[in-house]
Amino acid sequence: MESFSDYIKGYASGLKSLLIGLRTSMKVFLEPKITEQYPENRHTTLHIPERHRAKLTMIHDEENHHHCIACGLCQMNCPNGTIKLTTETREDADGKKKKVLVKYEYNLGSCMFCNLCVNACPHGAIEFTNDFENAVFEKDKLVLTLNHEGSTLAK
Amino acid sequence: MKRDDVMKTIQGAEVCPGNAGVIKVPLSDFRHVAEGLRNDPQSPMDFLRDIVGMDWGEEGLGAIYFMESTVTGDTIAIRTATTDRQQPLLPTVSDLWKTALIKEREVYDFFGILFTGHPDMRRLFLREDWIGWPLRKDYDMKSNPLRLDNEINADITKEYRLQRDGTLQGIDHRVFGEDDFVVSMGPQHPSTHGALRMRIALDGEVVKKVDPVLGYIHRGIEKMNESLTYPQTLGMTDRLDYLSAHQSRHALCTCIEQAAGIEISERAQYIRTIMDELQRIDSHLLFYSCLVLDMGAMTPFFYGFREREMILDIFEETTGGRLIQHYNVIGGVQDDIHPTFCQKVKDFIKHLRKVIKDYHDIFTGNVIADTRMKGVGILTKEDAISMGCTGGTGRATGWANDVRKRHPYALYDKVDFKQITYNECDTFARYMVRMDEIMESCRIIEQLIDNIPAGEFRVKTKPIIKLPEGIWTSAVEASRGEFGVVIESHGDKTPYRMHFRSTGLPLVQAMDTLCRGWKFADLIAIGASVDFVIPDIDR
Amino acid sequence: MNQAFLDYYNLQPLLAAIHSWLCGIMPEGLAIFLECVVVGVIILVLYAVLAIILIYMERKVCAAFQCRIGPNRVGGKGGLLQVPADVIKILIKEVFKLKNADQFLYGLAPFLVILASILTFSCLPWHNGGEILSMNIGILFVLAASSIGILGILLAGWSSNSKYTLIGAVRSGAMLISYEISIGITVLTMVMLSGTMDIHEIVMSQANGWNIFKGHIVAIVAFIIYLIAGNAEANRGPFDLAEAEQELTAGYHTEYSGMHFGFFYLAEYLNLFITSGIATTLFLGGWMPLHIAGLDGFNAVMDYIPGIVWFLGKTFFVVFLLMWLRWTYPRLRIDQVLTLEWKYIMPLSLLVMLVMAVCKVYGLVF
Repeated sequence: MESFSDYIKGYASGLKSLLIGLRTSMKVFLEPKITEQYPENRHTTLHIPERHRAKLTMIHDEENHHHCIACGLCQMNCPNGTIKLTTETREDADGKKKKVLVKYEYNLGSCMFCNLCVNACPHGAIEFTNDFENAVFEKDKLVLTLNHEGSTLAK
Repeated sequence: MKRDDVMKTIQGAEVCPGNAGVIKVPLSDFRHVAEGLRNDPQSPMDFLRDIVGMDWGEEGLGAIYFMESTVTGDTIAIRTATTDRQQPLLPTVSDLWKTALIKEREVYDFFGILFTGHPDMRRLFLREDWIGWPLRKDYDMKSNPLRLDNEINADITKEYRLQRDGTLQGIDHRVFGEDDFVVSMGPQHPSTHGALRMRIALDGEVVKKVDPVLGYIHRGIEKMNESLTYPQTLGMTDRLDYLSAHQSRHALCTCIEQAAGIEISERAQYIRTIMDELQRIDSHLLFYSCLVLDMGAMTPFFYGFREREMILDIFEETTGGRLIQHYNVIGGVQDDIHPTFCQKVKDFIKHLRKVIKDYHDIFTGNVIADTRMKGVGILTKEDAISMGCTGGTGRATGWANDVRKRHPYALYDKVDFKQITYNECDTFARYMVRMDEIMESCRIIEQLIDNIPAGEFRVKTKPIIKLPEGIWTSAVEASRGEFGVVIESHGDKTPYRMHFRSTGLPLVQAMDTLCRGWKFADLIAIGASVDFVIPDIDR
Repeated sequence: MNQAFLDYYNLQPLLAAIHSWLCGIMPEGLAIFLECVVVGVIILVLYAVLAIILIYMERKVCAAFQCRIGPNRVGGKGGLLQVPADVIKILIKEVFKLKNADQFLYGLAPFLVILASILTFSCLPWHNGGEILSMNIGILFVLAASSIGILGILLAGWSSNSKYTLIGAVRSGAMLISYEISIGITVLTMVMLSGTMDIHEIVMSQANGWNIFKGHIVAIVAFIIYLIAGNAEANRGPFDLAEAEQELTAGYHTEYSGMHFGFFYLAEYLNLFITSGIATTLFLGGWMPLHIAGLDGFNAVMDYIPGIVWFLGKTFFVVFLLMWLRWTYPRLRIDQVLTLEWKYIMPLSLLVMLVMAVCKVYGLVF
């Protein structure tokens, strides 16, 4: 007889737990939804934190000056060989030989956003921005040139 | 036999430099020492934390064995090597510790060391037709072109026995019989949580044997690290167990800091500890989601993700990354916490305490879930220790293995928290351990969040970090078990060898023990409940 | 209260008029043939349209249970055109052949499933005078026809020559055969209450009150049993073991593509609708309006709502109940499914039938 009462008890408690489940799911059914409607919310509710690392950029001021002295520390520190610097040695007005940046190539496709390049940079010439919409259709387009056309080293 | 006995009685035993305190043992005495340590009456070294294969060049090929006694908490590490590079042989310890069954296969795979007496000498991560032993220093990187043909898994495995006359005898063992109904689950399967593959012998719905086939996302991180500088190696840890990214990186940072003698500020300690716990909550919420999804309940899956998203937002605000954060650096953390961080964390914990009731209402008490989890998939405490199943899986068997309590690091000796253990050993216990740990992590964070001291978040380090010669190690409690780092340094700016103790490898090994005799549907639930993450296993 | 309302929207006179008009301009055989074609087309169109509505509803309802908003891009804010777009996509997808499959059975299986579904679908009492297949053993025919679907599932799983599909098919076979017993018994219980097997007659017998009210507690228990067993019969969660995505990737239809897969998919949703439709017929009065004794004005208003609206309204209500169940519970294991049937549901349904017989004999039903 005990097993029969166990059977009935199991029946009842099982049913109760199922009803609690139904109540909980109905509660959420009636709650406001949490879906974020990207890209519609691009200019409204979308919040990308300042510190989000999505793309490496070189800082340029209004006069098209950057701070890169072409020391190559970022290139050395990159674990993936993502950064490629092309430099040349020029003589300045005083006749001193100086390394000058020609092209700063950055391969977004192989970057793992570890921030070592930014940490290594002695002049704060590069930084990560939170500009995250970087999808392109061709792999080649992921190789970006960071120094702007005709930019020069800031004084 | 204890540490002192090894030093006294074994001729040629010497301690290597480094905080690991590894004792060098001659090959001829190794098996005797291992047995002595394992069977010591007072403090049996019953937990073999890790086996790390090594190529010491002239000294030969060998391995380091890290052991710990679950009775007294004593630890010891011994190493042995053989100079024969053509046919390196080490005696197996798989009869003493079950975890060696899979870890010796890993060493064999990378170094080509044959373990005599090991019943299953197959490759573990690499293809069966792989040429050469990649972690040896003389390995030719060009010896394996990209293969485009399918790998055929042999059903026969070999055991090697050393005869008295010094020759090697091979004995065949069958993995699967000819009449077995073998279902290949994965690497593409909804519930293997990544690219795990298991070959499963079924008898109707009942599981007869599980044979994990690993390596589908093996990236050779340990090999890569040998050519990276120490700061560069940090980036790899985030990509091991991506749900313990923070904790793994914490372990590597601690290891390097200890070796290089860098003291980090208290503020950084606080931040690291809080982040570790947030990461744990994040991981356990995902655990809940995946478990319920694997058991067919799609709706609670979204509950877990809803709350996890909030943690990721908090992470992103401070660290700049969501899944992979790159936050810990040698000497502290990358950035100071965001001004809104403390308030957001407090709000989140308050919210979590409120909604966690829904989690339990819809799933924990449910009669279907209960009957599917209770009493299913038993892993005994002895097996858990022997296989080295740390983390929630081990704690569900009553084995108190939390590194935060065993070897406190960061601030864990200053905060008050309970180590969650259950004694039921079943799927339900494994589930409840995680659910309770979420609340425990909340408590830890609450104790710390208001008391973060002022100070610098990162101390200055030398531009080029070199570690002193020696074997260095550290361990943290990652989201799913003990994560350990072993670095052998020869004084350069790159490690000579860097090894990570995978938290998931023992769990995958345990699947066979856990699932035998249970139904196929149980296998899915058990797999979800032991909670493995594949990138951490394959490395 | 008179019975006048029954004739408000009775389609019978209209259909008879059309028939006699057709017979006037062509031989009777041709007229009947023409009518059959038209009715067939109507069924297929209705079938497809309902499937689209159901799939849309499922996606919206499950989204709401999961704190999401569901489809919301294609076709305006509500995502109304999402499912039609999916239908077009599935229509233009390749139906591929398997190398080592039993080609004939592999091709036949989806058609068996869809055939069973359409046959049962045709038996539903849509409207007063609007039933399509009408016979005096209607409900028995529904039970028989729905069983063909199991054959389709078994064949699909077996002929695909894959281990996953085979496991799925065997699971589904074991499960469906078990749950048919409970369905049979509950249907029998309601037949007992109505005193007829003709679907039209069953609906008519509920003119003075739906069966669920007439049979009070007994009928309510039978209703719940029918819903559970019907849910299992429709292969839906928490009884979706045959598909069991997390275990068997897609179960018996893993190896199907394009419209062949589409047939299984359609049949799944329509089976949900049919299960609900039969539940409506047996328990909720089919197309009968809701009447509350004593409120004549209210009743009169209810009568003005056409029968098809009542039928669809009630059916979709039951569909929602089943979706609520599906999106709440974890999946059962195969042995639990069988335990539930043989140890809990079947004994209960037998008891219900017995009690119903007693009630009927002693006049304890309204």
